[in-house]
Amino acid sequence: MKILICIDDTDNLESRGTGELAENLAAEIQDRKWGHCEFVTRHQLLVHPDVPYTSHNSSMCFAANIDEQHLPNLIERAEAFLAEESAPGSDPGLAIAILDRLSDETALIDFGRRAKQVVLNKQNAYDLAAAHNIHLSEHGGTGHGVIGALAGIGLRMSGNDGRIKGWLRISASNGVAKVADILTQFNLGGVRTINGEILAHDDLVVVGEKPKAVFLGGKPYLMVSPLAEADTVRWQTSSRRELKQF
Amino acid sequence: MWFCIEDRRKLFLHGREDYTAAARAAEACPVFREDVEEEWVTDEARSCYNCRLRRWTADSFQCQGHVE
Repeated sequence: MKILICIDDTDNLESRGTGELAENLAAEIQDRKWGHCEFVTRHQLLVHPDVPYTSHNSSMCFAANIDEQHLPNLIERAEAFLAEESAPGSDPGLAIAILDRLSDETALIDFGRRAKQVVLNKQNAYDLAAAHNIHLSEHGGTGHGVIGALAGIGLRMSGNDGRIKGWLRISASNGVAKVADILTQFNLGGVRTINGEILAHDDLVVVGEKPKAVFLGGKPYLMVSPLAEADTVRWQTSSRRELKQF
Repeated sequence: MWFCIEDRRKLFLHGREDYTAAARAAEACPVFREDVEEEWVTDEARSCYNCRLRRWTADSFQCQGHVE
């Protein structure tokens, strides 16, 4: 069965980031041979004076394909993991959704999108989670992280939100890589521009520092931008500034 | 001048898009601390926009660093 796991508000100014905790939890799920985990996506939520957050208000989500028999143990371990690993003063929340058992994805996606625009409360999150059989739990502090955790599930389900944690270590020759070679190195939906143009397999890309992928159409895409002075190479990997919108 | 004091908090005066000002402010800052990679919004590492101690607001960010 395919599940989504999302955590939020696990950090303080001194601690590891929530993204690292998500990766560690994913690694533990695999180490225990409960299933296979996918990449972690970062989802930006509302920045507002009435929303408590440490510095950026983002949640971290990943998908896992697991054997159904391991689900109870996985939920129990994920809860303990957050309680053990979250930083003092944080307000951690955990959401786990079983995709096959969801009757209405629309409401969850809508919740995720609303969490980027308006201030939501914990009861909103618990009501929605209960209506859709989603595990939602808090593990310290005010527990406000349940809002972001559930929102992250909805945004990941939307297939069109967030940057992939980490960067792509692309093999390049003299700083340039062919799209076909990039696609053999990484499991990507493709290489595309911010405007949606998909590059051809024989296109060449100047590989910048720490190139990032973005979650679009349900897949990670390496993002590129046009070079100001194009010759045989017309593209370069997009800068962080250009990807800020995702 | 990079910051003003508003409601007893240090608010960056140059908004969310002035990358030059954010880099210069970080260059001069004794408490700059690089944030985790996934929270970077600009490619130059030393920028207030990439600092762990910045707290984003709708229009700018608050600096949570304390300089003695």
